[in-house]
Amino acid sequence: MPTRAEVFQIYARERGLEPAGALSPGPLTPLLAEGNGAPIDPAVRGELPGGVTGTAGHFSYTRNKTFRFHVAITEVPESQQFAPRLFCVREGRRTRDDHFYGFGARHSKVWTESEALSERYTVTTSPYQDPNWMRQLFSPTFIDWLVTAPPPDYSFELAYGTVLGAIEEDFPGLAELDALCRVTSEVASRIRTESHE
Amino acid sequence: MQVNKVGIFLIALFGGLGIAFLLVPIGGEAGGILKLMGVIWVGVAAFMVVYIRRQKQKAVHNDWIFNQGLRGRATVVEASSGGTMNEMPIMNLVLDLEVPGQEARRASRTETMPIFTATRMVPGMVLGVYVSPKDPSDYILVW
Repeated sequence: MPTRAEVFQIYARERGLEPAGALSPGPLTPLLAEGNGAPIDPAVRGELPGGVTGTAGHFSYTRNKTFRFHVAITEVPESQQFAPRLFCVREGRRTRDDHFYGFGARHSKVWTESEALSERYTVTTSPYQDPNWMRQLFSPTFIDWLVTAPPPDYSFELAYGTVLGAIEEDFPGLAELDALCRVTSEVASRIRTESHE
Repeated sequence: MQVNKVGIFLIALFGGLGIAFLLVPIGGEAGGILKLMGVIWVGVAAFMVVYIRRQKQKAVHNDWIFNQGLRGRATVVEASSGGTMNEMPIMNLVLDLEVPGQEARRASRTETMPIFTATRMVPGMVLGVYVSPKDPSDYILVW
Protein backbone atom coordinates (compact mmCIF):
# COMPACT_ATOMS: atom_id res chain seq x y z
CA MET A 1 0.00 0.00 0.00
CA PRO A 2 1.50 3.38 -0.96
CA THR A 3 2.24 5.90 1.75
CA ARG A 4 0.41 9.21 1.88
CA ALA A 5 3.42 10.99 0.39
CA GLU A 6 3.49 8.49 -2.48
CA VAL A 7 -0.23 8.95 -3.13
CA PHE A 8 0.27 12.70 -3.42
CA GLN A 9 3.28 12.24 -5.72
CA ILE A 10 1.15 10.10 -7.99
CA TYR A 11 -1.73 12.56 -7.71
CA ALA A 12 0.50 15.50 -8.63
CA ARG A 13 1.94 13.64 -11.60
CA GLU A 14 -1.41 12.43 -12.95
CA ARG A 15 -3.25 15.73 -12.50
CA GLY A 16 -0.45 18.05 -13.60
CA LEU A 17 0.05 19.57 -10.16
CA GLU A 18 3.22 20.74 -8.48
CA PRO A 19 4.37 18.87 -5.36
CA ALA A 20 4.80 21.53 -2.68
CA GLY A 21 6.15 19.54 0.26
CA ALA A 22 4.87 20.98 3.52
CA LEU A 23 2.99 24.27 3.32
CA SER A 24 2.08 26.48 6.25
CA PRO A 25 -0.78 28.71 5.09
CA GLY A 26 -1.36 30.19 8.55
CA PRO A 27 -4.66 30.38 10.44
CA LEU A 28 -6.75 31.42 7.43
CA THR A 29 -9.91 29.53 8.41
CA PRO A 30 -11.25 28.01 11.63
CA LEU A 31 -9.98 24.54 10.73
CA LEU A 32 -6.49 25.78 9.90
CA ALA A 33 -6.50 27.86 13.10
CA GLU A 34 -7.20 24.73 15.15
CA GLY A 35 -3.90 23.35 13.92
CA ASN A 36 -1.86 26.02 15.73
CA GLY A 37 0.50 26.34 12.78
CA ALA A 38 0.40 22.71 11.67
CA PRO A 39 1.37 22.46 8.00
CA ILE A 40 -0.47 20.95 5.08
CA ASP A 41 1.83 18.03 4.44
CA PRO A 42 2.14 16.66 1.84
CA ALA A 43 0.70 19.38 -0.35
CA VAL A 44 0.23 19.85 -4.08
CA ARG A 45 -0.70 23.03 -5.87
CA GLY A 46 -1.75 24.30 -9.26
CA GLU A 47 -5.00 24.10 -11.19
CA LEU A 48 -7.02 21.65 -9.14
CA PRO A 49 -9.52 19.24 -10.68
CA GLY A 50 -12.64 21.33 -11.13
CA GLY A 51 -10.70 24.25 -12.51
CA VAL A 52 -9.74 26.55 -9.66
CA THR A 53 -6.16 27.38 -8.73
CA GLY A 54 -5.23 26.32 -5.26
CA THR A 55 -3.62 23.84 -2.91
CA ALA A 56 -4.64 20.38 -1.79
CA GLY A 57 -3.10 18.20 0.85
CA HIS A 58 -3.18 16.41 4.15
CA PHE A 59 -3.74 18.44 7.29
CA SER A 60 -3.50 17.03 10.79
CA TYR A 61 -2.98 18.32 14.28
CA THR A 62 -3.22 17.09 17.83
CA ARG A 63 -5.43 18.59 20.49
CA ASN A 64 -5.58 15.82 23.08
CA LYS A 65 -6.17 13.47 20.16
CA THR A 66 -5.09 13.67 16.53
CA PHE A 67 -7.51 15.06 13.96
CA ARG A 68 -6.86 14.29 10.30
CA PHE A 69 -8.32 15.99 7.27
CA HIS A 70 -7.62 16.30 3.59
CA VAL A 71 -8.19 19.82 2.38
CA ALA A 72 -8.43 21.85 -0.80
CA ILE A 73 -7.89 25.60 -0.58
CA THR A 74 -8.54 28.35 -3.07
CA GLU A 75 -9.18 32.08 -2.98
CA VAL A 76 -12.30 34.10 -3.81
CA PRO A 77 -11.26 37.53 -2.54
CA GLU A 78 -14.26 39.29 -4.06
CA SER A 79 -16.55 37.46 -1.60
CA GLN A 80 -15.07 39.24 1.41
CA GLN A 81 -17.33 42.28 1.13
CA PHE A 82 -20.46 40.10 0.97
CA ALA A 83 -19.67 37.24 3.31
CA PRO A 84 -16.62 37.62 5.56
CA ARG A 85 -17.39 34.31 7.25
CA LEU A 86 -19.51 31.42 6.06
CA PHE A 87 -19.12 27.90 7.40
CA CYS A 88 -20.96 24.87 6.11
CA VAL A 89 -19.79 22.10 8.39
CA ARG A 90 -20.87 18.47 8.40
CA GLU A 91 -23.27 17.91 11.26
CA GLY A 92 -21.36 16.33 14.13
CA ARG A 93 -17.86 17.08 12.87
CA ARG A 94 -15.38 17.58 15.69
CA THR A 95 -12.22 19.60 15.27
CA ARG A 96 -10.95 19.60 18.81
CA ASP A 97 -11.21 17.66 22.01
CA ASP A 98 -10.10 20.31 24.45
CA HIS A 99 -12.71 23.04 24.13
CA PHE A 100 -13.63 24.18 27.63
CA TYR A 101 -14.66 27.77 26.97
CA GLY A 102 -18.22 28.80 27.65
CA PHE A 103 -18.27 31.80 25.31
CA GLY A 104 -17.37 32.28 21.67
CA ALA A 105 -17.63 34.87 18.93
CA ARG A 106 -21.19 35.64 17.96
CA HIS A 107 -22.42 33.97 14.81
CA SER A 108 -25.73 33.51 13.04
CA LYS A 109 -27.19 30.28 11.79
CA VAL A 110 -28.21 30.45 8.18
CA TRP A 111 -31.88 29.60 7.96
CA THR A 112 -33.24 27.79 4.96
CA GLU A 113 -36.39 25.79 4.45
CA SER A 114 -34.31 22.73 3.57
CA GLU A 115 -34.48 20.06 6.27
CA ALA A 116 -32.02 17.98 4.26
CA LEU A 117 -29.44 20.76 4.44
CA SER A 118 -29.98 21.22 8.18
CA GLU A 119 -29.68 17.49 8.78
CA ARG A 120 -26.44 17.26 6.91
CA TYR A 121 -24.69 20.54 7.74
CA THR A 122 -24.53 23.28 10.33
CA VAL A 123 -24.39 26.48 8.30
CA THR A 124 -23.27 29.61 10.15
CA THR A 125 -22.20 33.05 9.12
CA SER A 126 -20.95 36.23 10.73
CA PRO A 127 -23.75 38.43 12.05
CA TYR A 128 -24.95 41.42 10.03
CA GLN A 129 -24.22 40.01 6.61
CA ASP A 130 -26.49 40.91 3.75
CA PRO A 131 -29.35 38.38 4.07
CA ASN A 132 -30.32 38.81 0.42
CA TRP A 133 -26.86 37.80 -0.75
CA MET A 134 -26.96 34.75 1.49
CA ARG A 135 -30.43 33.76 0.23
CA GLN A 136 -29.24 34.09 -3.34
CA LEU A 137 -26.16 31.96 -2.68
CA PHE A 138 -28.22 29.31 -0.93
CA SER A 139 -30.61 28.95 -3.82
CA PRO A 140 -32.69 25.76 -4.03
CA THR A 141 -30.34 24.50 -6.74
CA PHE A 142 -27.22 25.03 -4.63
CA ILE A 143 -28.87 23.50 -1.56
CA ASP A 144 -29.94 20.47 -3.55
CA TRP A 145 -26.43 20.11 -4.89
CA LEU A 146 -24.90 20.49 -1.40
CA VAL A 147 -26.98 17.69 0.05
CA THR A 148 -26.44 15.27 -2.82
CA ALA A 149 -23.15 15.86 -4.63
CA PRO A 150 -20.30 16.27 -2.09
CA PRO A 151 -18.73 13.30 -0.31
CA PRO A 152 -20.58 12.44 2.94
CA ASP A 153 -17.80 13.81 5.13
CA TYR A 154 -17.41 17.07 3.22
CA SER A 155 -17.44 20.51 4.86
CA PHE A 156 -16.39 23.91 3.60
CA GLU A 157 -15.33 27.17 5.21
CA LEU A 158 -15.23 30.60 3.63
CA ALA A 159 -13.22 33.09 5.65
CA TYR A 160 -12.19 36.47 4.28
CA GLY A 161 -11.95 35.22 0.73
CA THR A 162 -10.31 31.88 1.47
CA VAL A 163 -12.37 28.80 0.62
CA LEU A 164 -11.32 25.60 2.32
CA GLY A 165 -13.02 22.31 1.54
CA ALA A 166 -12.27 19.35 3.79
CA ILE A 167 -12.96 15.63 4.03
CA GLU A 168 -12.24 13.54 7.06
CA GLU A 169 -10.97 10.42 5.31
CA ASP A 170 -7.55 9.29 6.57
CA PHE A 171 -6.16 7.76 3.37
CA PRO A 172 -8.12 8.96 0.37
CA GLY A 173 -7.30 7.60 -3.04
CA LEU A 174 -7.05 9.60 -6.24
CA ALA A 175 -10.81 9.45 -6.81
CA GLU A 176 -11.55 10.82 -3.34
CA LEU A 177 -9.00 13.61 -3.79
CA ASP A 178 -10.56 14.40 -7.14
CA ALA A 179 -13.99 14.60 -5.52
CA LEU A 180 -12.67 16.92 -2.79
CA CYS A 181 -11.09 19.25 -5.34
CA ARG A 182 -14.04 19.24 -7.74
CA VAL A 183 -16.60 19.93 -5.03
CA THR A 184 -14.47 22.71 -3.54
CA SER A 185 -14.00 24.20 -7.02
CA GLU A 186 -17.76 24.17 -7.50
CA VAL A 187 -18.35 25.84 -4.12
CA ALA A 188 -15.75 28.50 -4.90
CA SER A 189 -17.23 29.09 -8.37
CA ARG A 190 -20.71 29.55 -6.96
CA ILE A 191 -19.45 32.01 -4.35
CA ARG A 192 -17.50 33.87 -7.03
CA THR A 193 -20.50 34.02 -9.36
CA GLU A 194 -22.75 35.32 -6.59
CA SER A 195 -20.15 37.94 -5.65
CA HIS A 196 -20.15 39.28 -9.19
CA GLU A 197 -23.93 39.46 -9.57
CA MET B 1 -19.77 37.12 22.30
CA GLN B 2 -22.38 34.45 22.89
CA VAL B 3 -22.74 31.54 25.26
CA ASN B 4 -22.27 28.05 23.87
CA LYS B 5 -23.19 24.56 25.13
CA VAL B 6 -20.10 24.47 27.33
CA GLY B 7 -21.15 27.77 28.90
CA ILE B 8 -24.65 26.50 29.65
CA PHE B 9 -23.14 23.36 31.17
CA LEU B 10 -20.77 25.44 33.33
CA ILE B 11 -23.60 27.65 34.60
CA ALA B 12 -25.67 24.58 35.48
CA LEU B 13 -22.66 22.94 37.13
CA PHE B 14 -21.60 25.94 39.21
CA GLY B 15 -25.15 26.93 40.05
CA GLY B 16 -26.38 23.42 40.87
CA LEU B 17 -23.38 22.34 42.90
CA GLY B 18 -23.17 25.74 44.57
CA ILE B 19 -26.76 25.45 45.77
CA ALA B 20 -26.12 21.87 46.84
CA PHE B 21 -23.11 22.99 48.91
CA LEU B 22 -25.25 25.65 50.57
CA LEU B 23 -28.01 23.21 51.43
CA VAL B 24 -25.92 20.26 52.57
CA PRO B 25 -26.67 19.64 56.28
CA ILE B 26 -23.11 19.45 57.61
CA GLY B 27 -22.04 21.52 60.58
CA GLY B 28 -18.67 22.49 61.93
CA GLU B 29 -15.61 23.62 59.99
CA ALA B 30 -16.29 21.31 57.02
CA GLY B 31 -19.80 22.65 56.71
CA GLY B 32 -18.50 26.22 56.82
CA ILE B 33 -16.00 25.51 54.04
CA LEU B 34 -18.71 23.87 51.92
CA LYS B 35 -21.03 26.84 52.44
CA LEU B 36 -18.26 29.27 51.49
CA MET B 37 -17.62 27.22 48.34
CA GLY B 38 -21.36 27.25 47.68
CA VAL B 39 -21.49 31.05 47.88
CA ILE B 40 -18.51 31.37 45.52
CA TRP B 41 -19.89 28.87 43.00
CA VAL B 42 -23.36 30.40 42.99
CA GLY B 43 -21.68 33.80 42.59
CA VAL B 44 -19.75 32.55 39.55
CA ALA B 45 -22.96 31.18 38.00
CA ALA B 46 -24.77 34.45 38.73
CA PHE B 47 -21.94 36.46 37.17
CA MET B 48 -22.12 34.34 34.03
CA VAL B 49 -25.89 34.77 33.82
CA VAL B 50 -25.53 38.55 34.16
CA TYR B 51 -22.81 38.56 31.49
CA ILE B 52 -25.05 36.57 29.11
CA ARG B 53 -27.97 38.94 29.73
CA ARG B 54 -25.78 41.94 28.93
CA GLN B 55 -24.49 40.29 25.78
CA LYS B 56 -28.06 39.54 24.71
CA GLN B 57 -29.09 43.16 25.34
CA LYS B 58 -26.11 44.29 23.30
CA ALA B 59 -27.05 41.89 20.52
CA VAL B 60 -30.62 43.25 20.45
CA HIS B 61 -29.26 46.80 20.23
CA ASN B 62 -26.85 45.79 17.47
CA ASP B 63 -29.66 44.09 15.58
CA TRP B 64 -31.58 47.37 15.73
CA ILE B 65 -28.58 49.28 14.33
CA PHE B 66 -28.26 46.67 11.58
CA ASN B 67 -31.90 47.12 10.60
CA GLN B 68 -32.17 50.90 11.04
CA GLY B 69 -28.60 52.15 10.64
CA LEU B 70 -26.62 53.63 7.78
CA ARG B 71 -24.34 51.26 5.94
CA GLY B 72 -20.78 52.38 5.34
CA ARG B 73 -17.28 51.04 5.28
CA ALA B 74 -14.41 50.93 7.73
CA THR B 75 -10.80 50.69 6.62
CA VAL B 76 -8.33 49.29 9.12
CA VAL B 77 -5.53 51.79 9.74
CA GLU B 78 -3.84 50.08 12.66
CA ALA B 79 -4.38 46.78 14.43
CA SER B 80 -2.73 45.41 17.53
CA SER B 81 -3.52 42.71 20.02
CA GLY B 82 -4.13 43.67 23.63
CA GLY B 83 -4.27 40.18 25.12
CA THR B 84 -6.56 37.21 24.69
CA MET B 85 -9.83 35.93 26.07
CA ASN B 86 -10.74 32.25 25.65
CA GLU B 87 -7.92 31.90 23.08
CA MET B 88 -9.37 34.82 21.11
CA PRO B 89 -7.19 37.92 20.60
CA ILE B 90 -8.56 41.19 21.96
CA MET B 91 -7.86 43.47 19.02
CA ASN B 92 -7.37 47.22 19.25
CA LEU B 93 -8.32 48.68 15.89
CA VAL B 94 -7.95 52.15 14.46
CA LEU B 95 -10.46 52.62 11.65
CA ASP B 96 -11.28 55.17 8.99
CA LEU B 97 -15.06 55.31 8.78
CA GLU B 98 -16.86 56.38 5.62
CA VAL B 99 -20.64 56.57 5.91
CA PRO B 100 -22.85 58.20 3.29
CA GLY B 101 -24.14 61.55 4.54
CA GLN B 102 -21.57 61.78 7.33
CA GLU B 103 -18.13 63.32 7.48
CA ALA B 104 -15.33 60.77 7.17
CA ARG B 105 -13.69 60.24 10.52
CA ARG B 106 -11.16 58.13 12.37
CA ALA B 107 -12.30 55.95 15.25
CA SER B 108 -10.83 53.33 17.53
CA ARG B 109 -12.47 50.12 18.53
CA THR B 110 -11.71 47.06 20.64
CA GLU B 111 -13.11 43.72 19.45
CA THR B 112 -12.56 40.17 20.68
CA MET B 113 -12.11 38.05 17.58
CA PRO B 114 -11.25 34.49 16.63
CA ILE B 115 -7.62 34.01 15.58
CA PHE B 116 -8.51 33.50 11.92
CA THR B 117 -10.25 36.88 11.94
CA ALA B 118 -7.62 38.71 13.98
CA THR B 119 -4.85 37.73 11.57
CA ARG B 120 -6.79 39.42 8.74
CA MET B 121 -6.94 42.74 10.55
CA VAL B 122 -4.11 44.43 8.70
CA PRO B 123 -3.93 48.03 7.45
CA GLY B 124 -6.03 48.41 4.32
CA MET B 125 -8.56 45.71 5.23
CA VAL B 126 -12.06 47.02 4.44
CA LEU B 127 -14.99 45.96 6.62
CA GLY B 128 -18.67 46.77 6.50
CA VAL B 129 -20.08 49.05 9.17
CA TYR B 130 -23.60 50.03 10.27
CA VAL B 131 -23.97 53.32 12.14
CA SER B 132 -26.85 54.21 14.47
CA PRO B 133 -29.07 56.93 13.00
CA LYS B 134 -29.28 58.45 16.50
CA ASP B 135 -25.60 58.45 17.43
CA PRO B 136 -22.75 58.42 14.86
CA SER B 137 -20.36 57.03 17.48
CA ASP B 138 -22.58 53.98 17.95
CA TYR B 139 -21.83 51.48 15.23
CA ILE B 140 -21.35 47.78 14.53
CA LEU B 141 -18.44 46.40 12.63
CA VAL B 142 -19.12 43.52 10.28
CA TRP B 143 -16.36 40.94 10.55
